[in-house]
Amino acid sequence: MHALLLKAKHPFVIPLMAALAFSLYIIQHQIAGYKGMEKKIEEFVILPKGEYLKPAVIGYEQLAADIIWLQAIQVIGEDTVTPKGYDWIYHALDVVTTLDPKFAYAYQLGGVTLSVLGKVPEKSNALLLKGMRENPDVWQIPFYIGFNSFFYLNDYRSAAEYMAKASKLPGHPAYLPKLAARLYVQAGDPDVALEFLLRMYKETGDEKVRAILEQRIKEVIVERDARFLEEAVRRSKDVYKAYPEKLIELVERGIITGVPREPFGGYYYFNPEDGRVYSSVVKERMRVYGK
Amino acid sequence: MKVLTIARNTFREAIRDKILYNLLFFALLMIAASLLLATLTVGEQSKIIIDIGLASINVFGALIAIFLGIGLIIKEIEKKTIYNILAKPVPRYQFLIGKYIGLLITILVNIVIMGAGLYIILILNELRWGHSIFDVNFDIWKAIYLIFIELMVITAIALMFSTFSSSSTLSAIFTIAAYIIGHLTEELKLIGDKVQDSLLKGPITFFYYFLPNLDNFNIKGRVVHRLDVPSSYIALVTVYGLFYVAVILLLSGVIFQRRDFK
Repeated sequence: MHALLLKAKHPFVIPLMAALAFSLYIIQHQIAGYKGMEKKIEEFVILPKGEYLKPAVIGYEQLAADIIWLQAIQVIGEDTVTPKGYDWIYHALDVVTTLDPKFAYAYQLGGVTLSVLGKVPEKSNALLLKGMRENPDVWQIPFYIGFNSFFYLNDYRSAAEYMAKASKLPGHPAYLPKLAARLYVQAGDPDVALEFLLRMYKETGDEKVRAILEQRIKEVIVERDARFLEEAVRRSKDVYKAYPEKLIELVERGIITGVPREPFGGYYYFNPEDGRVYSSVVKERMRVYGK
Repeated sequence: MKVLTIARNTFREAIRDKILYNLLFFALLMIAASLLLATLTVGEQSKIIIDIGLASINVFGALIAIFLGIGLIIKEIEKKTIYNILAKPVPRYQFLIGKYIGLLITILVNIVIMGAGLYIILILNELRWGHSIFDVNFDIWKAIYLIFIELMVITAIALMFSTFSSSSTLSAIFTIAAYIIGHLTEELKLIGDKVQDSLLKGPITFFYYFLPNLDNFNIKGRVVHRLDVPSSYIALVTVYGLFYVAVILLLSGVIFQRRDFK
């Protein structure tokens, strides 16, 4: 270094060094252009299984887990991640949690994003079940399994069971036992689904996940309102022996006090052909909670 | 008293070593950089800081132990100063122990500086998120304490290699190999449990018990997740470390006593 500085007295050395450094910047920029986002996720494929990686990191499991974790969370939630990409993210999180099994937050974030963003609830549950074995005292983990079972696997019984498990763990929110009890008896009720979604919304910090949950909450509100209005239509028909032409007639006839506001900013209308109420925005009625 | 004089001189010599300051600088840089890396994560920022911090203390502490440890005797031989010392009425084992203690004090000072650096970074992190400084995970000092005991073992191993090898590079390679093997001892037990052949089982069990089990000193994973580490465990592991050091120092003493300096 010293010798180099001495030589720097020559007038061309410093400009040459500057030129080379600038060239390096240009070249690196070109190289970076070859590596897209998908490439970054693909790197998780070559990640060895956690069981094999563990001895190789000689006592620095936490650090190794952090490095993979930091890489994985930069990719999670990106719009460019394909369904295959979420398989690889699952693999990366599986390695992270094998290296650092007590990293409870990795199971939680992984569990939510794999199901809500990645639409791979089975993988999400596999990760969460591993988390439950390693961290039996963390109530959020069974809570998320319950969420997956309810909204993605349509398994209400198992949803209720996991929620009951969560409500027995230390630090659980006060609403949890009641929610678990309601799941056992009224699983098909949109009100239960709505409460569940609102709780989930509060538990999640990830903005992308929250955006999807918000959408879902509105859809469930539509379903709840539609059922409420259909019931009113039925009662109206019982009395007046004919379908109302417009929903506002239900208010005029004193059957309901008002037509609920459509959460997406649209309006509700009644279709006399099939006797059902629809939203002007959400074209399809939700099948999940339909009987 | 001669031991303490040698120890004091070794310490003075070691803190003049440039390698020491380079390693300490990089360790502190890594610890400070962890604050930056922690912003990339979601959730617990302090986990990333503690993981990187403790790993840095461990790695750089081990490098200090290895590179200063092997130089302890070899440098004296290269500079021919060993003849002056051995000509004086100092038993060779006292010379060895003095050197060892001098280096341990150097390592202790460095570990405390790195630990304090990590602690300050953790306090800054808590303040940044508007938390109280009492939220800082105080248990990191338990992990740092056991890292120091681990470094005591590594220093002893480095010293032992430097008593019979005249090449610093070779001694460094030996000690790094011992460090890696020491962290793989736990795997030996897993292999031993699976092996049915008793001819193979014997040697595996032997190595499992007599190779240094450096993973014993690794409580980084428990500390970062605020899991309880029983005091009895820390005491037991400390005794394990001290006994291991005693064995290696005795062995080094025997080798050093017989060594012929020409």
